[in-house]
Amino acid sequence: MKFHWFHLMPYPYLPENFKERYRSVWVDLPAGEVYDPVKGHQVYNDYLDQLEYAESVGFDGICVNEHHQNGYGLMPSPNLMAAALARRTSKAKLVVLGNSVALYDPPIRVAEEMAMLDVLSGGRLVAGFPVGTGMDTAFCYGANPATLREKYREGVELIVRAWKTRQPFAFNGKYTQLRYVNPWPVPIQSPHPPIWIPGGGSIETWEWCVKNDFLYAYLSYWGYMSGKPVIDGFWETVERLGGEINPYRAGFLQFVGVADSDAEAERLYAGPAEYFYNRCFHIAPGYYNPPGYASVATIRKGITGQVVKASQHLRTASVRWQHLIDDGCIIAGSPSTIVDRLNDMADRIKVGHVMLLCHFGNMAHETVLYNTTRFARDVMPKLRHRFSEHEDRWWPKTALDVQKPAPIGVAAE
Amino acid sequence: MLTSQVVTLPGGRTSKVFRAGQGPIVVWLHGPHGVRGRDPVVAELARRHTVLAPLAPGFAEATELDDVRDVHDLALHYDDVLEALGLDGATVIGHSFGAMVAAEVAAHFPRRVARLVLISPLGLWREEEPVPDMFAVPYMTIDKLLWKDGAPCAEMADPADEPSDPIEKQVAVAQALTAVAKFVWPLPDRGLRRRLPRMTADTLIIAGADDPFVPASYVGAFAAAIRGARAAIIPTAGHMLPYEKPAEVFRLLDEFLDATVKAA
Repeated sequence: MKFHWFHLMPYPYLPENFKERYRSVWVDLPAGEVYDPVKGHQVYNDYLDQLEYAESVGFDGICVNEHHQNGYGLMPSPNLMAAALARRTSKAKLVVLGNSVALYDPPIRVAEEMAMLDVLSGGRLVAGFPVGTGMDTAFCYGANPATLREKYREGVELIVRAWKTRQPFAFNGKYTQLRYVNPWPVPIQSPHPPIWIPGGGSIETWEWCVKNDFLYAYLSYWGYMSGKPVIDGFWETVERLGGEINPYRAGFLQFVGVADSDAEAERLYAGPAEYFYNRCFHIAPGYYNPPGYASVATIRKGITGQVVKASQHLRTASVRWQHLIDDGCIIAGSPSTIVDRLNDMADRIKVGHVMLLCHFGNMAHETVLYNTTRFARDVMPKLRHRFSEHEDRWWPKTALDVQKPAPIGVAAE
Repeated sequence: MLTSQVVTLPGGRTSKVFRAGQGPIVVWLHGPHGVRGRDPVVAELARRHTVLAPLAPGFAEATELDDVRDVHDLALHYDDVLEALGLDGATVIGHSFGAMVAAEVAAHFPRRVARLVLISPLGLWREEEPVPDMFAVPYMTIDKLLWKDGAPCAEMADPADEPSDPIEKQVAVAQALTAVAKFVWPLPDRGLRRRLPRMTADTLIIAGADDPFVPASYVGAFAAAIRGARAAIIPTAGHMLPYEKPAEVFRLLDEFLDATVKAA
């Protein structure tokens, strides 16, 4: 099993009465009114420190992602964050989860920046390509939901082809036309970094990932029992298409809070968890699912309905710590409790890449470091052996022996 | 009595066209609800006319949209439909999204359309009074916003027209609104204002004074760009104007058609 430290980078200063005062944390939450850039300076630097710290205690990957116009996640450009991390880390893989390809014209920009990150980091990049949420794509970036998925697929195919071909070619697509496709630099990893697709439960994505040998990551905030039908759908697709049932071709997201006891966990983590679910997830229902965003097949499967239902539930109900624990949204408590639950998760959904949220909501910096340390020291070693019988083909292999970059020294007096 | 036929277009594409009534031909271009079996506007038009109502691409099958990539392709599609129906110098009446389509067809192909009625038309953007985002609500609740009473009139919500399975109903609504969204996302301005002066049709524009989507001021914006256009605003009416105020709408429409047909 591999463990990745995922930062959503939420804005931690949303007001107490946020839910009553604002209709949505995404799309139209007034930036000039709610976001304080001076506080933001501290927030970004703390968050990058936390990601770097995760490497130092032994996490395999550190993850960043892309969202727009919101207080939920402050990374409109995950590549900028990954660039900062590339210079200050040397072992952890940089899991960029990822770039919403349909938002870049031409999408070759993504091939360029990701290759830059791979070269800069010595071959440590994992290249993630999400469609992006309805909020990010259709509402914030004006992408047409009727064509978004087709444009996204074409963009990913162009990027992969550019990386594989490594000779100039012309591309005459439906959404992108380029006379000369020849992006510099080329990535260190050959033919290209592992490709991870964070999916929200769109069923066509399963088949696409299997056929192209992309990793499928299901980023759900509702725990592994609630996410099981989606992951099961993916494994059924792997089987149907004759693919190898290998846990390392799938990823899953999980909130964790490590402490000495359940009571201590509640004291440390209840506040930040309730902040996340009640404020960061306060999204106007109309922004979730613009017409065309979910395919007909996905609507028929009833998957999108669950997400919308959950968001609607959150609008009216106030989520309390005990619900989050009972529903498995957050796994918290003593190390042995967490090891048991993660073993149960491994048994039930058979996912080899686990993305951990050790920071959530408005968690204090010291608490984040404590949670991260405890997880790495008391939990991770007990789960390392899981799935060791499988080869992980969805992970960077050939990282250079990276010299930890350091500033050019100034001669001492 | 509403019947339908499938007309074949160049390249093997097709279009479903509904037909009702007898008399001089009028073309009805529907709004976001498509064409329903007991559609009262079609029924009223059919009392004195042969109504031909093509279903917009994407409403019958999502794949119909594959080769209709932008608003120019859409205008070409309707030019093909009118050609297949043998119509030149036609009388075209459109509502909402259908009125935007009607205006695009009349501007792209002025000789196709001799008389044009635009009811609550989408298609322009005024900086002073922007069109609100009709898609910023969950699409299954869009009727609450479109209809003055929060729900469609009985004829437009006839269970006979709708899948009984709730999931299939959701699919149908999503598919129809996707077809509309394709041509008006992120806001309904594909450059129609630049093309409107090309039109040669006699034109009547009607809007509801209380339309929550296309503010009544848009009537003036359309009228200013279309040579010789007549305009009318009907008090205490919303976006579903022809369904909400049929008597007022048809009085204006009949007057307009009588006058322009006589003049021709």
